[in-house]
Amino acid sequence: MAEHTTFKVFRYNPETDSKPYFQSYQVPLQGGKTVLDGLNEIKGQQDGTLTYRMSCRSAICGSCGMVVNGHSKLVCRLQIAEVLKNFDEVVIEPMRNFEVIRDLVVNMDRFWDKMDKVTPWLVADEENVPATERLQSPADFNVIRDASSCIMCGVCLSDCTSLEVDSNFLGPAALAKAFRMAADSRSVDREERLLELSKEGGVWDCARCYECVQVCPKYVAPMETIMKLREMTLKADLVDNRGTRHVEHFTELVLDSGILDERRLPMKTVGLTDLKGMLHMAPTGLRMMLKGKMPLIHPHIKDVDELQRIAHKVEESK
Amino acid sequence: MRVHDVVVVGSGLAGMEAALRASQDGELDVAIVSKVFPTRSHSGAAQGGIACAIGNQDPEDNWEVHMFDTVKGGDYLVDQDAAELMCKKAPEIIYELEHMGLVFNRLPDGRMAQRSFGGHSKPRACFAADWTGHAILHTLFEIVLKRKVKVYSEWYVTSLIVRDHTCHGVVAYDIMRGALEVFKARAVIFCTGGYGRAYKITSNAHANTGDGLSIAYRAGIPLEDMEFVQFHPTGLYGSGILLTEGARGEGAYLLNNDGERFMKKYAPERMELGPRDIVARAEQQEIDEGRGINGKTCVNVDIRHLGKERIMERLPQVRDLAWDFLGLDCFSECIPIQPTAHYSMGGIPVNLDCECVIDDKGTKIDGFYAAGECSCVSVHGANRLGTNSLLEACAMGAIAGTSAAKYAKSAPDLSLPDDADVEAKREIDWLLNARGSVKIADLGDELQRTMMDDCGVFRTEAQLKRQYDVVKNLQQRFQSIGLSDRSKTFNTELLGALELSHLLDFAEVIVLGALNRTESRGGHSRKDHPKRDDANWLKHTLAYKDVDGPRFAYKPVTITRFQPQERKY
Amino acid sequence: MKYAFFPGCVAKQTCPELYHSTKKVAQALNIDLVELENAACSGAGVVSQQNEALSDALNARTFAMAEKQALPIMTICSTCQGAFCRANKRLRQEPYRDKINGYLSGNGKNEGGYKGTTKIKHFLWALVEDLGIEELKKRVKRPLRNLKVASFYGCHLLRPSDALGFDNPDNPTSLEKVIDALGAEPVDYDGRTRCCGFPILLENENASMAMVSKHTLEAKEKGSDCMVTPCPLCHLNLDVQQPNAEKIARQKIGLPVLHLPQLVGLALGFSEHEMGLHKHIVPTGRVVEKAIGS
Repeated sequence: MAEHTTFKVFRYNPETDSKPYFQSYQVPLQGGKTVLDGLNEIKGQQDGTLTYRMSCRSAICGSCGMVVNGHSKLVCRLQIAEVLKNFDEVVIEPMRNFEVIRDLVVNMDRFWDKMDKVTPWLVADEENVPATERLQSPADFNVIRDASSCIMCGVCLSDCTSLEVDSNFLGPAALAKAFRMAADSRSVDREERLLELSKEGGVWDCARCYECVQVCPKYVAPMETIMKLREMTLKADLVDNRGTRHVEHFTELVLDSGILDERRLPMKTVGLTDLKGMLHMAPTGLRMMLKGKMPLIHPHIKDVDELQRIAHKVEESK
Repeated sequence: MRVHDVVVVGSGLAGMEAALRASQDGELDVAIVSKVFPTRSHSGAAQGGIACAIGNQDPEDNWEVHMFDTVKGGDYLVDQDAAELMCKKAPEIIYELEHMGLVFNRLPDGRMAQRSFGGHSKPRACFAADWTGHAILHTLFEIVLKRKVKVYSEWYVTSLIVRDHTCHGVVAYDIMRGALEVFKARAVIFCTGGYGRAYKITSNAHANTGDGLSIAYRAGIPLEDMEFVQFHPTGLYGSGILLTEGARGEGAYLLNNDGERFMKKYAPERMELGPRDIVARAEQQEIDEGRGINGKTCVNVDIRHLGKERIMERLPQVRDLAWDFLGLDCFSECIPIQPTAHYSMGGIPVNLDCECVIDDKGTKIDGFYAAGECSCVSVHGANRLGTNSLLEACAMGAIAGTSAAKYAKSAPDLSLPDDADVEAKREIDWLLNARGSVKIADLGDELQRTMMDDCGVFRTEAQLKRQYDVVKNLQQRFQSIGLSDRSKTFNTELLGALELSHLLDFAEVIVLGALNRTESRGGHSRKDHPKRDDANWLKHTLAYKDVDGPRFAYKPVTITRFQPQERKY
Repeated sequence: MKYAFFPGCVAKQTCPELYHSTKKVAQALNIDLVELENAACSGAGVVSQQNEALSDALNARTFAMAEKQALPIMTICSTCQGAFCRANKRLRQEPYRDKINGYLSGNGKNEGGYKGTTKIKHFLWALVEDLGIEELKKRVKRPLRNLKVASFYGCHLLRPSDALGFDNPDNPTSLEKVIDALGAEPVDYDGRTRCCGFPILLENENASMAMVSKHTLEAKEKGSDCMVTPCPLCHLNLDVQQPNAEKIARQKIGLPVLHLPQLVGLALGFSEHEMGLHKHIVPTGRVVEKAIGS
C-alpha cells in the first residue's frame, strides 16, 4: 500500500478565483483514518486556506456532508481505506444541488427553505393537553422512530435525482420530516398534511431512484418514508391524481392478467377524461405501434384466479 | 449595529430553551447567535437519556431521591438549593418536551420508558434509543422554527460588552461575510457549552472550544470550579468518541485484559453503574497497572450478552460507532474504550435565576445570564451524573430565558460604549496579519496531548506544575503564529486561531485551580492528596483574570438537606 | 447454467426485442432458460406502495416456483431485479415469511409456500458471476472494436445495496467489464448510476425528460456511440421517449440505446435484425455500422 493517499479537492474562493479548480494533496496514510482526518491533516499542516464544515466527527451533527468520488457522504464516518477499495484517490467536491460558498462549504438555505414548507413540527391537540405525557404505544413510537433519526446533513438532497432536474421538488429530507409528523400517533393534522404533500413538488414527484436511501448516514431511508406517505394517502382515499391512479390501476391490472397491461396503464393514469393528456401521448404511442412495440393481444398468465385469491386473502387479513 | 431585547449565544438545548422562554409571550425581540447551525450543536451528541424522577419505571422515585443522588454523585460540592430546584423542575421540563412532539421510547402502557444510569439509585433516564440529545435538539429547533425566533447561524461571538457591572450586548463575527458587528441587547444569555477540545481524547465536537468561558473571563467575570473536568468512562479507543453510558445502563460489562469485571474492586455494589469519576478512575488504574487490553491504553466494554434485538432497539448508535470507527461488530466482539474528556462541571458562576454572580457577596453583572455546560450553578458539584446534563441544559436554560426576559422588560435603554468593538477588531486584524512561523495546529495538538497526560484523570503537583509551564509557553508561542488565509469568506482558519486563543486562556485556569486544590473530590483526583478534605476544601473555586494570570478566591458551598458523608457505591 | 427465467412484463410487450434477443443470446452461450410462464408481475415497487404484503405474496409465489425446481431465477430487468431482491430480503425474516406464506396456501396450490432459498440474478450478474468474463471473451466472434459504449445501470440494480449486494453502488463495474469483454470501450460518465426518469414520466414529464436529456447528452459528449442498459424501463425512457426529451432540451440527441443482450448478441455474431435493433425508436444503424460494418 502506498504511504500517501492523494486527495483531489474542489477549490473555489469567490474573492480570488474566477472558476473552481481541483487541487491535489498527499495525505500520510495511517490505519483507521477517516476522510475528515485527512482534510484536517491538510488544513493543519499543508494548507490553512482549505475550507469545509465539520464538528462532531461522530456522524451526529450533520455538518460534513460532501461528495466523495461521485456520491454524497458524511466524511467523518468514511474511512479512507474504504474509499480506496473502489478508487485510487479520494476526490472531494461540495454537495450538489446547493450553491457553493467556498471550497467544500455550500449554502444550506435551500435545505431549510424546503424544510419550512412542510410544517416541520408536531401539530397535536392543544386543547386537551394532559398534565403528564401524551400516551403513545411502543408500536406507534416505532413507526416514527427511524425517521426521527434525521440529522439534517443534506446528503440526500445532494444526491436526489428529482431535485437535480426540478428545483420545485420538496426533496427527501423535508418529506421524511413530513412523514415523521404525519405518522405520529399524537398528530391531529394528518389529512391536511397528506393533501398538501400530494401537490406538485410533493410525494408523487419522487423518481424512486433509492439514492437517498443509499446515502443516508442514519436510519431515515427517506424514500421509504415517501412511499409510506403515498400509502397513507391511498389508504385515506383523499386524492385522485396521476400518482394515485398510477398505483391503483397498476395493482388492478396486475391482478387482472398477471402481467401489467402497458397499453392500458398510461391511459388509466392520465385518465380517459383528460383529452389533452391523451392527445399528448398519442404521437409516442403511434411511434411505438409502428415499430411493433404495441402487441394487439394482451398476454396473461394461466392462473390469474390464483392471484385474485391471494389478494383476497391479504385483504381479509387486515 | 443590530439591536435585540435578548441575545442568546449558543443554540444547543440550553440556548434554544432560553430563547423559547424569553420569546414565549411575544413581547420581546429575541435572537439566537450561534457559531454553528442550531442542529449542529453538540447537545445533539448526547446519547443515553435525560434524568427525571417521574417514577414511570419505579414508583418509589421522587425529586428528593434524585436530588440526593445528584449531591452524592457531585461529591458534596453541589449547591443543594440549585440541585433541589433542578430536580423539582424536571417533570415540568420533560412533559413540556413531550408535548412539543419529542419522541421517547415507551412502556407498553404508552408512558415514557426509563432506564438506569450511573450513580442514579433509580431508573429515571427518559430516552430516545441512544440519541436522546439529538431528539431533544431537533424538537426544540422545530419549535424555534414554529415560533420564528431569529437565528444568526454561523456567527461567532468574539466578545461580551460589559461596563460597570452591566452587560450591553456582544460583538460577533459573521463567518459567511467576514464582517464584525455589534449586537446591542438589554440581556445576554450565554449557553456556549463546554471545552472538551482542550484534551486529546475527548467525546466533544471540534466546535467545543469553550469560547464562552474565556470571553466572559476576559470581560472580568470569574470562572468557577474549572479544575473539575469530567472524563467519561466509555470513549472509543483512540478517538474518544462517546459510547453511551446507556450501554452500562442496559447491562454492559467492563472487562480488563484478564476478562475480569474489574468494577467489583472499585464499586462492589453498583459495579459498572458507579458514577463516572469512579469508573473512569478504575479504568485508568487498570490501564496504569498493566491490565489494559493487550497492553494498550484501553479496557473493553462488552454488550454481546444483551443480544442483537435489545442492542438494535436501545443502542443502535453503539453498533454503528463501533463498526464505523473501529471496524468492530459489537454483536460478537468487545469494544475497546478509554476515559475521554467529556464535560466541564465548572463555568460562569450563576445564581438560581441564572444571573451571573461574580463573588461570594452576590454581586451581579446586570443583564448577563448563563445556562448549561458553560455555566456553574453547581448542580453537578465535583462530578456530574449521566443524564443530568440534558436536564440541567433544559431546566436552567428555561429559567435563564424567563429571568432574562423579566429583566429585559424593565431594564433601562443604555447607550453603548463607544469602544464596544475596538478590542474585537484589533484581535481579528492581528490574526489576519499574523505572519509568524508557528502553526496553530501544532500548538493545539501540544496543548491537547499535554493536558491529557498531566491534567487528566489523575493529577500530581509535579505534573500540574509541568503543565502550567507548558501552557505559559504555548501562550507565548501563540504570539508568533502564522495564518495563511486572509479571505473574508468563511475563513475557518481565523476561527481556529480565535478558538485556540480561548483554549490557552482557560487551560491555565484549569491547571492552576487543580494545582491549588490539594484534595481529591469527584472529577479532580490528586494522587498526592488522595482523600477528600472537607475541612479545607468544601468550597468553590473562583478564578479572576488578572494581569499576570488568574487570581483565585473561594466561596462556600450551599448545603441544605444532605450533610457531607463518605461516598460509597 | 440453468435458470428459471423471469422475463418481466415489458419484454413481453413494449420491448419484444429484449425478450427475443435474450433467448437467442442465452442459447448461443449455452444458458438454459426455463421460463416461469405462470409467474406474475414483480410489482415493480408500485404495488408495494399500496400493499406491501400483497406485493410480497405475489413475489413469494414466484420464488416458490423456482425453489421447487431448485433453480435460481434470472431476470432481464433492473426494476424486476430490485423489486425481487427487496422482497426476498424481507422474506428471509422468518415470522414475516410465515405470514406471507399464509396468504399463498389453499386451493392445493403453493403448498409448503416459499422457504426463502431462491437466488435471484440479473442476466448481467449471471454473465459476470456464472459464465465469467474470461469465458465470455472466448465466446466473442466479432469483437465490437471502435465502439464506445456508455453503460446505464438503472437505479434498482444498484440500490439499496444491502438488498442488491452485487455491484458497489458508488462505482459499479460489471457492465463495464462486459462491454470490455465484448471488445468495445466503456465510457465513464456521471450519469451511469443515476435515474432515467421513467417512474415519473406521467407525473412530472418535464423532470423525467430532463433526466433523459441530461444523461444521454453527457454520454454523447464523452464520445459514446451508444448506451447499453440492463433495464427495459430505462430503455423505454431513454430510447422511446428520446424524441420528447429532444423537444424539451431543444436539441438533437440521437443516441441509440441498446438492451444488454443486444450488445452481447452483436459480438456473438448475430445480425442487427436478429437482435431486433430495427424495433428501436432512435435509429441504430450507425452503431451497427461502426461495430461490425467495417
